[in-house]
Amino acid sequence: MIKTAQDMKSYKKKIRQALGDSFLRSALDEFNTAYRENRPNVYKDIDFNSLRDIIAENKDSLIPFLEVLFEEFRLNAQKAGAIVHRAKDARQANEIIARIAKENKVKKIIKSKSMTAEETFLNDYLEKQGFIVTETDLGEWIIQLKHEGPSHMVMPAIHLSRYQVGELFEKQTDLKVDAQNIDKLVKVARRELRPRFLEADMGITGANFAIADSGTLGMVTNEGNMRLTTTLPRVHVALVGFDKLVSDLGSALRILKLLPRNATGQAITSYVTWIKGANQSLNTPFGKKEMHVVFLDNGRLSLSKDPLFCTSLRCIRCGACANVCPIYSKVGGHRYGHVYIGAIGLILTLFFHGKDNDRAIVRNCINCQACKEVCPVSIDLPHLIKKTYARVIKEEGKTPVKNFLLAKVMKNRKLFHFILRSAYLAQQPLSKGRPLIRHLPAFLEKDHGFRSLPTIAKIPLRDLWQTLSPKLENPSLRIALFAGCAMDFIYPDHGKDLLKLLKKANIQVDFPLDQTCCGLPAMMAAEEKTAKELAVKNIQAFEAESYDYILTLCASCASHLTHNYEKIFREAKEPAMDLKLFTDKIIDFSSFMDRVYKFPQTDQNMNKQVTYHAPCHLCRGLHVTDEPRALIQKAGYTYVPSKDEDVCCGFGGSYSVDFPEISSEILKKKLDNVEASGADILVTDCPGCVMQLSGGLDKRQSHIKVLHLVELLANKK
Amino acid sequence: MEKKNLIQIMTEKAVAVGTIVHEISSVSDALQYAVDLNKEKNLKTLACPGLDSEDQDRLLDLCNSANLDLLEEPLRNQASSIDTSLTWVNYGIADTGTLMLASDSEEIRIATMLAKIHIAMLPVSKIRLDTGSIEAALNDILKKDSASYTAFITGPSRTADIERVLAIGVHGPVELHLLLIKDMQP
Ligand code: SF4
Ligand code: SF4
Repeated sequence: MIKTAQDMKSYKKKIRQALGDSFLRSALDEFNTAYRENRPNVYKDIDFNSLRDIIAENKDSLIPFLEVLFEEFRLNAQKAGAIVHRAKDARQANEIIARIAKENKVKKIIKSKSMTAEETFLNDYLEKQGFIVTETDLGEWIIQLKHEGPSHMVMPAIHLSRYQVGELFEKQTDLKVDAQNIDKLVKVARRELRPRFLEADMGITGANFAIADSGTLGMVTNEGNMRLTTTLPRVHVALVGFDKLVSDLGSALRILKLLPRNATGQAITSYVTWIKGANQSLNTPFGKKEMHVVFLDNGRLSLSKDPLFCTSLRCIRCGACANVCPIYSKVGGHRYGHVYIGAIGLILTLFFHGKDNDRAIVRNCINCQACKEVCPVSIDLPHLIKKTYARVIKEEGKTPVKNFLLAKVMKNRKLFHFILRSAYLAQQPLSKGRPLIRHLPAFLEKDHGFRSLPTIAKIPLRDLWQTLSPKLENPSLRIALFAGCAMDFIYPDHGKDLLKLLKKANIQVDFPLDQTCCGLPAMMAAEEKTAKELAVKNIQAFEAESYDYILTLCASCASHLTHNYEKIFREAKEPAMDLKLFTDKIIDFSSFMDRVYKFPQTDQNMNKQVTYHAPCHLCRGLHVTDEPRALIQKAGYTYVPSKDEDVCCGFGGSYSVDFPEISSEILKKKLDNVEASGADILVTDCPGCVMQLSGGLDKRQSHIKVLHLVELLANKK
Repeated sequence: MEKKNLIQIMTEKAVAVGTIVHEISSVSDALQYAVDLNKEKNLKTLACPGLDSEDQDRLLDLCNSANLDLLEEPLRNQASSIDTSLTWVNYGIADTGTLMLASDSEEIRIATMLAKIHIAMLPVSKIRLDTGSIEAALNDILKKDSASYTAFITGPSRTADIERVLAIGVHGPVELHLLLIKDMQP
């Protein structure tokens, strides 16, 4: 039975347990890396991005018509002898299936893998009704023996080692099992399950496609158990979500190009099976199978009408959003979903299994965008996760303290900045004059002491600006600086370096003083009203028409201003004046220095090795990848790549405060890779990442220096 | 020229997923191959649903002289004792090394699912480039009002459910052999 933590305290406890499971940790870390490394190879002959957009568009065009497709499917399938049912919720689906079983005097049931059956907890229900149910997919059988839910949508038992599996098999068979040898374990399953197929009266499967214009089910599998499940017993019941409906075979074949590639790195699975109607069965009186298809609604049809969340119905359950998620790879599936696992699980849990099961897990997303990047149907998962969190808060009917404070403080720029300025004084006893606080007070040190913390600057950038950046006579370009809170209050020196660079090119840089926090932290906390108010304030603060560019040295701000502002106003259905003018002018530092400034190649050799950390919101948020690496080399440094450069550093703003135990683990892996690169300097181009990385390296007392790219470029001589 | 390329692609992709591929010149060679393989592997039984009666008779003779058991239909009651199955497949899909098999007949399904070894025969003229090029043919099957069961088969049965380690032959055939029959016209 699945028990998902319903409050933060028990969730944290489960997370700590998971972090202590060494097999889980190494298995999932390896999986994460292997999956990402294999992708270019898997997609070398296929244009992933254009194909996924076509599939997403096709799905979107079908989602409003699921009921029409259902009727079409029903008619066509019935002509071929299938009986088609619809179930409004999980309970009804289970009841229908149990009824079919009873009517057909079924005793023994075999199942092939179906996430939809997991969703309805079908096995529990059938077993309570007295049926003997055997899962036959290897992974599903293992977790059935262990009385657990799946920890991954494609590899349900990925959290278990061969030895744990061996133990389960020994208990099951009463025979000694050679657990070291996976081939032998697999053969145990073959041997044990064969008779179950032959004895079963009924087979239950899911389906990957329900093709409306022919009434055909399409099933994508590898083991061959689904084929046996649909062939040997006299009754076949397929349980299918409404979202599996597609209009025609062509749509299914198109999805089939991406599904196996994205799920398991295969061009196609061993078996793809197209089943229509009641097929021949020689152990029945009429020579035909009893064939039923049960379509499950369970909230899908109302989701299909939701302008935002309807896109979650595009999901084809490939599991990739878990594979690449840095948090999934630390905590594992049972802490990263209820039944559905990974990014999509954080979303669907609310709709299929209620807010109690989603309350804690939905908060555990660092917004690194990795899932969105690999989703074969282009679901904006990180965004929907935050939107789901907002719904959970709304359904709970009480505002979390954090949101209350965020709203109170952030909406009032002067108050917010006053608090930041006061922090300078408050931190003095801890910083002891250093720019980093290495030791926190004891009660904080245990959880949060994994990195040194930066100190607030004595004088923020905004107060220095007038003296630093005089008006130029005939500037070559006019730039407005969007500083972002971190540069303004923690790293004003980055601003000084920027001016040093831009002065040389006779570029005028202004600092509109009414600018405030970009609003990303508010959005992360699902504090949507505050996020919107901050957006309005910032757009007003910048008279975008007076500038050639609005430049920011913070990748997170840049990505938030560029993409999320548009979403905020679109979703609020409030057209914002000057929004497009504003967002079109936003440019990140690397793009600016490379494309606009045209930073020249130096012939000087700086004799230093530099490695790079790609901020999530730069490499995935804005797809800026080559520019920063090119700039490092142009400045005369030797760029040495480190492993997993584009994997999150674990900062995520307040994420690292809310989930320090996970943040520190992600950081640890990052820094191990950085150290292994042999670099002298680690460069990145987001102040949030600078904070996390330099904090971590300082704690390690490493010799590696962390610099914002602006520092590297400004100080090259 | 194109045909040559298709055979190459088909072979390459099928081999890449663990299919054992041979080009042969006639059905007789295929029958002989099946018998030899069974002997070589020390297996006892063969099933050959869907072969025409002439070929079945020839196979029976070969089996008799090799001391092998050619199973008679219905296969359902002998489901546990099928060592090798020999069947036709309808199409080859070159770019994934896939075989398309119309398996409406329960005999074909049981033979190809439960056998340890599945030997598939495919005239080279039935190789197509990709799923797009068999879409119309498959749709013709699916659009009929009658029931149908059509399989795409790509390599032997596999799993990576334990520690992501690839293991072959979990529920379906442990070996898939593809015999490309060269000069056979459809
Ligand atoms: S955004 Fe990152 S942390 Fe959040 S679910 Fe996606 S991959 Fe995981
Ligand atoms: S949301 Fe996208 S990536 Fe995640 S399982 Fe669904 S289709 Fe795959």
